[in-house]
Order: sequence, then C-alpha cells, then structure tokens
Amino acid sequence: MPALENIAAADALDVQRVLAGDVRAFEGIVRRWQGPLVNLAWRYTRDRGRSEELAQEAFLRAWRGLASWRQEGAFSTWLFALAANVYRNDLKRVPVVNVPMNEAPEPSHPAVQHDDLALRSRDESVRRAVLALPLRYREPVLLFYFHEMDVAAAARTLRLPEGTVKARLSRARDLLRRRFPHLEHESGSVAAPHLTRRNEA
Amino acid sequence: MRQDQLDTILAQNEELIPTSGFLARVMERVEEEAAAPPPIPFPWKRAIPGIVLAAVVLVCGAVAIVRYILSLGATQFTSPQMQLPQALPPAMQQAGWIVAALAISAAGYWLARRLAGRSGLL
Repeated sequence: MPALENIAAADALDVQRVLAGDVRAFEGIVRRWQGPLVNLAWRYTRDRGRSEELAQEAFLRAWRGLASWRQEGAFSTWLFALAANVYRNDLKRVPVVNVPMNEAPEPSHPAVQHDDLALRSRDESVRRAVLALPLRYREPVLLFYFHEMDVAAAARTLRLPEGTVKARLSRARDLLRRRFPHLEHESGSVAAPHLTRRNEA
Repeated sequence: MRQDQLDTILAQNEELIPTSGFLARVMERVEEEAAAPPPIPFPWKRAIPGIVLAAVVLVCGAVAIVRYILSLGATQFTSPQMQLPQALPPAMQQAGWIVAALAISAAGYWLARRLAGRSGLL
C-alpha cells in the first residue's frame, strides 16, 4: 500500500491531467478509490449490486465536478463527501429497509452463541439494525466505522461539526444497545485486533 | 470513546472487492460523457421576444379584467363570454369554434417545429 502522501500526490496529478483534457487519467483515480467507494456504498445499502451502481454514479459525479475540488483539502475527503451525498440521496429515493428499529431481528438462542454461525448471525443482525436507525444517526455510525473510528474524518465526510457527529454517534449507540441489551453484558470481552492497535497508537 | 463489543461488531465489516469489470464500466461511462456534445443552450435571444409578448398580453388581460369588474361593481359581476355572430346557426357556431381550435393547434405546431428546426433538433 503506497504511503498516503504518494496517494495524495497521484490524485492531484491525475486531476490536473483530467482537467487538461486527458480523460484516461481518470482511470488512476477510479483504480485507487474503487474499493473504498464500493465498500462505503455497501455499508449504506448492504446490497452488492446496488453498491457498485452507486459507486459508479459517485465516480461520474466526481468526473463532472472535478474542477470544483479545491486543492487545499485532501482529494479523498472531497470524494468521500461527494459519494456520501450521492448515497444519501439515493437512499432517500429508495430506502434500504422499512423495518422499524424495534422490529429489527435479534438472535433468539443465547445458548448457542458460542457457535461460530450463531455469532456471525448476531453480528449481521447488529449491522442490519444500523440500517434501521434514522438517517441522521445512521450516517455517523456508518462513516465512523468506515473511517476506522475516526470522528474527525467522519465529520469531514458529513460536513458536520465534530461535536454534532459525536452526539449523534452516542445517540445511535444508545439506540443499538437498547435493541441488543445482551451486548452490554459482554462489554469489553473481545476487541478486533485492528481496533486494539489503533487504541494503542 | 469507550470501545466495546458493539464497536467490535460494527468495525468488523465484510470487505467487498469491486467486480473485475467495474473499472472498465466506469471508464466507459466517463468516456461517453467526455465524447458527448455539450448541452444545447436555451435560445434566450429567440425566446425573449415571445416571453415579453406573452407577459404584455397577460398584464393587459389582467388589467382589462380588473377594469371590467370595477366598472360593473362586485355584486353584478358575471364572467365575460365570447360570442360568435348571432346570425349564424348553432351548428355553424360550433364548427367555428372547432376551426378556431384547429387553427391555433396548427399554428402552435408550426411554431414549435420552426424553433426546433432552427436549434438543430430536427
């Protein structure tokens, strides 16, 4: 994985080439950012086909609006904000779930939770419950975890103050904990390795 | 922020790898857009006289209606009705209205084709 500075420099160079008329230079941008944009769309929709369609639309919007990127900010910040806007508008047009939060499915067999399949099913239920949150709480959750628990990055993508994002995140987590109360009992038992590393840093 | 199992679950998201044709599809759409001719600007120069004329007619009509209402007084108001010459029989009067409607439609169609033809749409 190239260093962040190299990626930023490559982005800036490709944008300059595209604006100078070299259409093929946009390929470099798509190649670098296709994974993140498809994965961000996946978090918004949990639908593989729709994720690619939305990511494609986001790239097209980026292509059309490339001249509006002010180079004082990172290209990735601009691109993520644009993509989040595309995904948000599409979700308003065609919502992903119509299930209310209190009807979001919950695994009913705590006795078998050590079984790998049951754990995976529970985790997926929690992730799906995020989609049942109201959009104002859902987006901070999606972006906070997409940006590896970086509130500042999530706030930049949402173009909201960090304090607002923190407050919404806290409310969203309360709603999720209320829906899945058993998670609180297991609090702190297991931590994902990359989260542990991040906290240590 | 305290890290707990909720964080663990939400942070462990399945990584999606874009399909092999994704890049090509995006670039195809981008190249289509790049090759497309620029959008046709709205022909303001041609449209402005028509818009001004329509506005003048509307304003004159509104003024005439207000004057008519004021001249009759609010209680005696009845909507003005267009009358064809009374000498014509009723069947001819109806035919006259149909002919007038067809003529207006034809004029509208001709004008629209003319404008579109000049803009290179036809």
